[in-house]
Amino acid sequence: MPVAASAIYFLNLRGDVLINRLYRDDVGGNMVDAFRMHIMQTKELGTCPVRQIGGCSFFYMRISNVYIVIVVSSNANVACAFKFVVEAVALFKSYFGGAFDEDAIRNNFVLIYELLDEIMDFGYPQNLSPEILKLYITQEGVRSPFSSKPSDRPVPNATLQVTGAVGWRREGLVYKKNEVFLDIVESVNLLMSSKGSVLRCDVTGKILMKCFLSGMPDLKLGLNDKIGLEKESQLKSRPTKSGKTIELDDVTFHQCVNLTRFNSEKTVSFVPPDGEFELMKYRITEGVNLPFRVLPTIKELGRTRMEVNVKVKSVFGAKMFALGVVIKIPVPKQTAKTSFQVTSGRAKYNAAIDCLVWKIRKFPGQTEPTLSAEVELISTMAEKKSWTRPPIQMEFQVPMFTASGLRVRFLKVWEKSGYNTVEWVRYITKAGSYEVRC
Amino acid sequence: MAPPAQSQRSSSPSQPSGKSEVSDLKLQLRQLAGSRAPGVDDSKRELFKKVISYMTIGIDVSSLFGEMVMCSATSDIVLKKMCYLYVGNYAKVNPDLALLTINFLQRDCHDEDPMIRGLALRSLCSLRVANLVEYLVGPLGSGLKDSNSYVRVVAVIGVLKLYHISASTCVDADFPSTLKHLMLNDSDTQVVANCLSALQEIWSAEATTSEEASREREALISKPVIYYLLNRIKEFSEWAQCLVLELVAKYVPVESDEIFDIMNLLEDRLQHANGAVVLATIKVFLHLTLSLTDVHQQVYERIKAPLLTLVSSGSPEQSYAVLSHLHILVMRAPYIFSSDYKHFYCQYNEPSYVKRLKLEMLTAVANESNTYEIVTELCEYAANVDIPIARESIRAVGKIALQQYDVNAIVDRLLQFLEMEKDYVTAEALVLVKDLLRKYPQWSHDCIAVVGNISSKNVQEPKAKAALIWMLGEYSQDMQDAPYILESLVENWDEEHSAEVRLHLLTAVMKCFFKRPPETQNALGAALAAGIADFHQDVHDRALFYYRILQYNVSVAEHVVNPPKQAVSVFADTQSSEIKDRIFDEFNSLSVVYQKPSYMFTDKEHRGPFEFSDELGNLSIGGEAADNVVSAQSVEANDKDLLLTTSEKEETRGSSTNGSAYTAPYDSSSTSVFASQTRIESEISNPTSAGHAPQASLGIDDLLGLGLPAAPAPSSPQLKLSSKAVLDPSAFQQKWRQLPVALSQECSVSPQGVAAFTGPQALPRHMQSHSIHCIASGGQSPNFKFFFFAQKAEETSNYLVECIINTSSAKAQIKIKADDQSTSSAFSTLFQSALSRFGIP
Repeated sequence: MPVAASAIYFLNLRGDVLINRLYRDDVGGNMVDAFRMHIMQTKELGTCPVRQIGGCSFFYMRISNVYIVIVVSSNANVACAFKFVVEAVALFKSYFGGAFDEDAIRNNFVLIYELLDEIMDFGYPQNLSPEILKLYITQEGVRSPFSSKPSDRPVPNATLQVTGAVGWRREGLVYKKNEVFLDIVESVNLLMSSKGSVLRCDVTGKILMKCFLSGMPDLKLGLNDKIGLEKESQLKSRPTKSGKTIELDDVTFHQCVNLTRFNSEKTVSFVPPDGEFELMKYRITEGVNLPFRVLPTIKELGRTRMEVNVKVKSVFGAKMFALGVVIKIPVPKQTAKTSFQVTSGRAKYNAAIDCLVWKIRKFPGQTEPTLSAEVELISTMAEKKSWTRPPIQMEFQVPMFTASGLRVRFLKVWEKSGYNTVEWVRYITKAGSYEVRC
Repeated sequence: MAPPAQSQRSSSPSQPSGKSEVSDLKLQLRQLAGSRAPGVDDSKRELFKKVISYMTIGIDVSSLFGEMVMCSATSDIVLKKMCYLYVGNYAKVNPDLALLTINFLQRDCHDEDPMIRGLALRSLCSLRVANLVEYLVGPLGSGLKDSNSYVRVVAVIGVLKLYHISASTCVDADFPSTLKHLMLNDSDTQVVANCLSALQEIWSAEATTSEEASREREALISKPVIYYLLNRIKEFSEWAQCLVLELVAKYVPVESDEIFDIMNLLEDRLQHANGAVVLATIKVFLHLTLSLTDVHQQVYERIKAPLLTLVSSGSPEQSYAVLSHLHILVMRAPYIFSSDYKHFYCQYNEPSYVKRLKLEMLTAVANESNTYEIVTELCEYAANVDIPIARESIRAVGKIALQQYDVNAIVDRLLQFLEMEKDYVTAEALVLVKDLLRKYPQWSHDCIAVVGNISSKNVQEPKAKAALIWMLGEYSQDMQDAPYILESLVENWDEEHSAEVRLHLLTAVMKCFFKRPPETQNALGAALAAGIADFHQDVHDRALFYYRILQYNVSVAEHVVNPPKQAVSVFADTQSSEIKDRIFDEFNSLSVVYQKPSYMFTDKEHRGPFEFSDELGNLSIGGEAADNVVSAQSVEANDKDLLLTTSEKEETRGSSTNGSAYTAPYDSSSTSVFASQTRIESEISNPTSAGHAPQASLGIDDLLGLGLPAAPAPSSPQLKLSSKAVLDPSAFQQKWRQLPVALSQECSVSPQGVAAFTGPQALPRHMQSHSIHCIASGGQSPNFKFFFFAQKAEETSNYLVECIINTSSAKAQIKIKADDQSTSSAFSTLFQSALSRFGIP
C-alpha cells in the first residue's frame, strides 16, 4: 500500500499542535507527545527525517516554521509519503495565496481540515489537484448547495471531473486574450576544488508555464535538445541547422505531457492545465556554461591576521548582467576586525554566519571585480588547531542566460476555434549550491 | 478566528484553562440551536470554529456533543463539514449520543447534491462505533451504486472502514465481491484504485482464516486483473499509479515476452514528474527481470538517470527517500555506478543524513579507476565541521583501503590524518591503521614509524586506544619504547575505565613480554596483578588465564598469545545476503530506509491499537542495541502489544524481544544489528541470565548479593519450582491465549514492598530469586504491570501470571493461568508469599 497514513499532524516549532487529523485507529491519540518527546526535544531533530518510535514510523518535514508529521504503523512507501506532503503544501499554498506558515495555518485551519478530508481518505491519497479541488472547496464555502443560480452549482460537474480523462483541465474556459508564459529556470550546482578544478557540476532545470488559453488547446514545444533535433532531421531528411544542441541527461514531465508521443516522435506535446504549472524538469551534466569563476587567495599570516583576496569573473555575454549576486567568504569564528576594499558592490562582515558577505546588485558580463580584505583575529589558546575552511558560496540570478544552453525553438498552440495566441518566453539561471573551496 | 495560542505540553483532558470556556460555548450553542434568525449561520460558524480549534489543541470538548448535534441541522456546507469532523472525533467516546447523529447523516446520504451525499457517507463511516454498524450497511450499499463517482469513491473506502469496525458485518453484506465487481468495471479510475486498496487490506486480513479469501488475494495478482489495470494505467492519478505498480511488482509473468510487454508499456512512467511513480516503476522493472540476468543489468543502466535526477531535485527529505533506494542498488551492483561517483559528492550544506548515505555509496563504488578522486574528496570531508560526518569519511577512506588492491596512496593519506592533530581524526585513523595492518602486514614498517610518534596521552577514545595498544603489542619489536609506553599505561590501570582497553592492554603486555622479556617483565607482573584484582569479569578471567598458562608452560603461552598470524583477506560482512535480499524484495518501502526487512520493525498483521503511555520518555530508545539489554525488559507498552510484538519475528531468530521494537531502526554503527539482537534475545528469553548454568535458587540469591535469608520452604512443600525455567515469549503468548484464567485474586503489598518499588525492574529481580521469572514488564508509578512465568521442578508444567500493582493503593491484582489447574492455588500462595517478601531485607 502506498501510504496508508494513520495520522497527520502540523506542529509549530515549539511543538504546539496546529492541525491534527487522525485517519486510522491503529495508532494512539498521543502520537504527538511521542514525536515531541523523542524527536523535537532531543538532538534527534534533523538528524533523520524518518524515525521509528514504538511500532510506528514518523515521517517529518519542516516547511518554514511548521513541522508536518505523518505517522504510519505499517511498512509504508516513504517516497510517496514525502511527495504527498510536498504536494499537499503546494495545494495549501495555492489556497492561501503563497505563504505557508504558522499564521496562515491558524487563520485557515477550517479550510485545511476540509482539504485534508478530501486529499486523503482512511490514509490513502485521493485527489490533490488544486484545479479540481478549487471547484468545490472554496474559501468562502459553497453557501447553499440548493441555490437556484446555476453558476453557484459547479459541484456536480466538478465531481465528475475529479478523475476524468483530462483531470487537470476543465472544459469551457474562455479568455479574452490568449496568452502563454514560458519560463526556463535553471539552477547551477558547482563544486570546485581549491586548485580551481571542477569536481562536480550539473544543471537542474525546469520549464514553468502559465497558460491563459480558451478551450482545449493542444501545445507543442520544440527545444534545441539533441534527441529532438536528430529526430527532426531524420524526418525532414536534411541536416540540422548549425548551432548548439543540448544533451539532456534525464527528463521528467508533468502528467499532461503525452509520454507515448514523446517517446515515438520526440516532441513535447500536451494539453496544459489552466494557470501555472511545471511542464518539465531536466538535468544536464555535460557542457555546462558556468556563469561565474571565483578565484580566491586566502593567506593566514601568523595567528592573528588573515589576508583575503577574491576575484569573481563573469563569463557570460557582455550585454547581459547578473542580479542579486552575493558572495559569502567564510572567516574563522574568532574574527575581531575586518577592513575591505572592493571594486564593485558592498561588503561587510556578518558575525552570525562567520562570513564576509559581498553583495553586488548588478553584475555585468565579462567583468572581474575583486575584493581584498584584511581580517584580524583574536588569538585564543584553545583554538590552536588549524581552521577548517568551509567553501565560498555564491548566490546569483542571470536573466536571459541558460547555463545548459537550452533554447526554445518553437511553441505552437493549436485549438479547434483557431484563435491567435501570444507567447512569452523567459530564461533565467540561478545558483543552486555554488561552492568553491579555498 | 485562530486557535488560541496556548502552550500545550501535554494533551491531558482536564485542562483547567479550557473548562470555563467549554461551558460558555455550551451555553451559546444552546441559544443558537433553535434560532432561525437571519445570520445565525455566521455566528454558528464562529462557534464551531472555536470548538474545532479547542479540539485541535487537545482540550476535551466532548461534553458539547449534544449541543453540536442539535446545531447540525443546517444547509451550510462548511458548518456541516465542521460538524462532521467533530462528530467523527468524539463519537467513539459517546456511543449513545452518536446514535443521535445517525438520523441526520442518513438523511444527508439521500441528499440530491452528490457532494453532500459523499460527505455524509464518509462521516457516517468515520463514527467508528461498533453498535451502529447496522446503520451503515444500507447507505453503503446504495453509495456503491450511486450514479456519481464522488459518492462511489467515498463509499468504497467506507466499506474498508466498516471492515475495520466490524469485519463480519462487512463480509456478511457481501461487500468484498461488490468491490471486486466495481474494480473491474467502474469507469472512474479513482473508484478502481480505492477498490484495490480496500480489497488488498480486506483479503490480506481475511486470508489468515479463510481459504477463499487467500484465493481472492492471489487472484488480484493474476494475469487478467494485472493486464486490466496496466491497460488503464494512464488514466489513474499519480497516487493510484503507485498503488497499481506496487501490485504489478508482485506479478510473476509466465513467459518472458510478457516481461518485455509490461516493461515497454511502463517505460514512459520513468519520466513521470512524481518521484513516487518513478520509484514504483523501478521496482516493477527490477522484480520482473530478476530471472533474466542480462536484462536486469540493462534495467540498472536504464534507471540510473531518473534516479539521479530524483536525488538532485526536491527537498532533502525527498532526496533522502530516493537516496536510500539508490543506496541499496549501489550496494547490489556498485560497478554499474562507478562512473557516476561525482553524483555522490557531498554539498557543504546538505543535512547529515544525506551525507552519510552518500559517503557509503562513495565507498561502495570505488574501484581502480576512480579511487584517487574519491579518496581525495573524502579527505576534504575529514576536516568537516560536522564531526560525525568527518569521522564517517575517515572510516570510508579506510574501507576503501581494505577493498582495494593498490593501497599505496591511501596509506599515505591515512598517515596524514594521524598528523592532523585533531583528537577525533587521530582516533578514527588509528582504528583504521590497525585494520589495515591486519590485512596488509607488509605496510607495518611505514605505519609503525608514524604510530610510534603518537602520544598515548592524546588518545582518549576507547576504540582508538585499544587499537594503539594492539599495535604496541603486535609490533613491539619495531617500536623502541613500546615496553615503556605499555608500562606507563599499566601504571594508570585504575584510571582506565574501558574494559575493552584493559583487555587489550593485558594481551599487548603479554605479546611484548615474549618479544622483549627483560624490558617487559615488570609491566607484565603489574598488569597481571591489576587484572586479577579487576572487578570486570572478563578482564579478571583473562588475567587469571594468562597467569595460569604462564605457570603451566611458557612456550605454550607464547604459542597461544603470539601465534604466527595470517593476514585477514576479507572482513566479515555485517549483513547476511539473505537479509539483503529480503530488503530488496521490499523495495520502495520503509525497509529500505531502515535497512532492515519489515518483519524486524513492524508486525502489521497483528498489531493491536498501540497506546503510548505518558511516561514513555523514560524509555531509552535508540542507542546501540546492546545497551538496551536492561531497558528492553522494562519497555512500557500495553499488554497486548507487549506480547504480540514478540511473536512475529521468529522466522530467523526463534524468539525475540519486545525491546527490539524499540531499538533504533537505523543503526549507523557498523555493528551488526542482527548479531546484537540475537544477543539480547538470549539474555531476555532466559532471564536467569549469567549463562545457562543450572543453579539452585539459593545459589542465585548469593550471586546476586541480595543477602536474603534462606527462604523458608514454600507453604505448600509439594510444589517446587524450577529455577532454570525457560519459556520463550512466543510460547508464553500462545499459552496465555489458550489457557483459561485459573485464579484471579487481589492482595495487598506491604509498605516496605511499596517503598522498594523504585521502578519496574526491581520486582522481577526479587521474584527471580523465588524461581518466578518475569517475561515482560511495564508501567510507571503508580501502576505497574508484569507478566511472570514459572515451571514446576522436574516437570514441564507452566504457570503464567499477570500481575498489576498499584503502589498508591498498595494493592496487587493477580491473574494466574496454569497448565495444571489443580496446583494453581498452591502456586498462588507461593506467588503471594514471594510477593509479600518484596522489600523486606
